[in-house]
Amino acid sequence: MPPIRDKFTIHSKAIVCQDVELKGDITIGAGTIVHPKVTIFAIAGPIVIGSGCIIEEAAIIVNRRKEVMRIGDENLFEIGCRVECPSIGDYNTISTRARVHHTVRISSFCVIGAGCLVVPIEDEVLEDQTVVYGPSAERRIWSGNGKIQELDLRRKHAEYLKEMLPKFNRLRRGEGA
Amino acid sequence: MDSPIYYAKSEFIETDTGNKVSRRATIAGPQNIILGGKTIISSGAIIRGDLRRTGPGHAVVISLGRYCLVGEGCIMRPPYKTYRGNFNYYPMKIGDHVHIGAGTVVEAATIGNHVEIGKNCVIGKFTIIKDCAKIADNTIIPPNTVIPALALFSGSPGHFVEDLPESTQEMVEGHTKQYYMRFQPG
Repeated sequence: MPPIRDKFTIHSKAIVCQDVELKGDITIGAGTIVHPKVTIFAIAGPIVIGSGCIIEEAAIIVNRRKEVMRIGDENLFEIGCRVECPSIGDYNTISTRARVHHTVRISSFCVIGAGCLVVPIEDEVLEDQTVVYGPSAERRIWSGNGKIQELDLRRKHAEYLKEMLPKFNRLRRGEGA
Repeated sequence: MDSPIYYAKSEFIETDTGNKVSRRATIAGPQNIILGGKTIISSGAIIRGDLRRTGPGHAVVISLGRYCLVGEGCIMRPPYKTYRGNFNYYPMKIGDHVHIGAGTVVEAATIGNHVEIGKNCVIGKFTIIKDCAKIADNTIIPPNTVIPALALFSGSPGHFVEDLPESTQEMVEGHTKQYYMRFQPG
């Protein structure tokens, strides 16, 4: 395998803490917030993260495939989750300590519950508004109730972090900035 | 007494009040964290004191009581919500003699005295845990749960299993004190 070349493109409006482990070709969009102790590994292909995402501490994002791993806008990755999906849409929540394998593609407005394991053997696409919950990773479709409130909360959360995180943490900047 | 648990002296910082904090723990915003004394913070723990309530003046984000133990790889961060349209983080208060197992994620609002939390648990946002409760290993407590006094909770989602004996308070107090005594530089 060729050695991994590091190339980080971090938008000037993104907040990426210093204490973060990045490897490979990574692009981080505007307004995305990366807490300390996050790990993002682009082992084979590059990782592109959209705008307004929140990635909390000890989260792990890995791309083991050759193609680009695309993560959409305003996704929330909670504490200690591990994500290897080749594509993620917009407005999804991956809860605390959930694990999603590289065989799953996530659409939009999906929720993966706390501690859930989503590890199907064959390739699979989670359709819009899928909720995975419970110890045996059961599924159902969310009615969409409270969608506006949820999005509002996420936006305010990102706004708050944008203001507070730089006061207590050192930030990392993209190359050349 | 049981055999002592030795740790590398160079790894831990001991304060005047007997708190022992690992150098390998990540502590953000330490000015907003209060440790009661004789509390141990193990290596790999993450404590987020930087996520404070907005507003003027000094804000306590996380307060821990006496004889607490924060296990290895534990993550403690205050809970957040919007209230009357304003987004905010809210303080987390933990009582005395609280042991938190390794790898547990805590986003509780209040934890009482003499509480035992197992390994690899997830304690959801704004959870309230009353005195002398116990959470088994690998339990997932959903947000806004209230756990009554002297209850044992386990499972995913966590549910009530049984009542604990009335002697729990003395047992836990003895256990936590002994643990602190055993935890010595070697």
